[in-house]
Amino acid sequence: MTNQRQHPARRGQGELEGLVLSALRAADGPQTAGSVQERLGGGLAYTTVITILTRLLAKGVVSRERAGRSFVWTPVSDHAGLAAHKMRKLLDGESDREAVLASFVTSLEPGDERLLRELLGRAQAEGED
Amino acid sequence: MGVFVFLPLVLPLTAWPIARLADRHLHPRTATRLLTALAGVMAVCSTVCLGLLMVVGTAQLPGNPLPDGWSDPEVRAAVPYDGIAGRVAVPALLAVVAACAVTLRRHRRLTRRAHRALAGLPRTEVAVLADAEPYAYALPGGAMSEDRVVVSTAMLTCLEPAERRALFAHERAHLAARHHRHLLAVRLAAQANPFLHPLRKAVSYAAERWADEEAAETVGSRRAVARAIGKAALVSRGTPAPTLAGLAAPGPVPRRVAALLAPAPAARTWPSAFTAVGMAAWTAAAGTAVSAMSSANSALTLAVLLHAATPL
Repeated sequence: MTNQRQHPARRGQGELEGLVLSALRAADGPQTAGSVQERLGGGLAYTTVITILTRLLAKGVVSRERAGRSFVWTPVSDHAGLAAHKMRKLLDGESDREAVLASFVTSLEPGDERLLRELLGRAQAEGED
Repeated sequence: MGVFVFLPLVLPLTAWPIARLADRHLHPRTATRLLTALAGVMAVCSTVCLGLLMVVGTAQLPGNPLPDGWSDPEVRAAVPYDGIAGRVAVPALLAVVAACAVTLRRHRRLTRRAHRALAGLPRTEVAVLADAEPYAYALPGGAMSEDRVVVSTAMLTCLEPAERRALFAHERAHLAARHHRHLLAVRLAAQANPFLHPLRKAVSYAAERWADEEAAETVGSRRAVARAIGKAALVSRGTPAPTLAGLAAPGPVPRRVAALLAPAPAARTWPSAFTAVGMAAWTAAAGTAVSAMSSANSALTLAVLLHAATPL
């Protein structure tokens, strides 16, 4: 408990990514890592902010441009995009996840597509009667 | 003890006919509950018997913790002192325990990770993710999180309003009926005894059908649910599995759509014994009862033997 209070920055990576993205999105125009750090209220070290921004860049949620000797960062996506990236990584990495994430539809087997189109066509025709 | 200790290991075979017939002849709610219960009881019995066999098997290991009287020829004659079964039971039981532990850990980790992925979003029941890949999932709540329905924007754009309502109703039905518990239970059961695998497949199909029927009732249109499933499957189809076309039976998606285009199933609780499905259900019930009695009998016999062999 006390340990956590001494290190407010010791939070989950996901939470930090959300915070940095929020700060970047709240600003108008591209920001340097230093100004992002300022906007976060100084709770995070400069290197941490750089690390998080680089991670967001890898996820395609922010972009960066060189401005002089450093980079300026721009958000290209919102929290829904960040969540989508994380969820996709989870879905692609875990094949046997039925009991946690019950999918709406399972993949079609060969021959299923033709059968399915027939069934839907019939449903359409009956529905129009 | 004798042959009884081996029975629960093979009795899951008596549930195969009902696992095959349930999808067309039972209401999906009945099928899900019945098959999960059968699988659960049979898996526990089978594991208990593996454990008993293991106790017998360890008698052959040097330095075993069993009492000395155990090696008495009379005691040995009363238990299935089988050089092979006892020795096989040790790694088999270890494998079962390890596989179940891994599954449970993975289940918890996956639930946590999925909730963490949604952490930045507004805390609404439906989480809409900006993704070009179409998908929709029901995500049950964990220790610190609520139930969520996860759906991508690509999935929503391909559905019409009535079909979206059907999709949400389907996912909510999964969450309300706690289907993930059934799915986890049969998964563990199939790991405890591979003969229970057909029951696992049958339960995962029956749970989908159950949610489909609930959704049809909620939106008031079986056809809207059928269309939602059909469209979702057509847009999200991946690369087809390399199977021999023509030999493959229809997969779960067309069967679900066909079932929704047919009249609603009757909500009977237990089928008549004079039909094929009734016979199958009774066979499975009898198999489960025999399984339970055999394992209880074996456990009791072994306990009495151990007690008698302990010099106290």
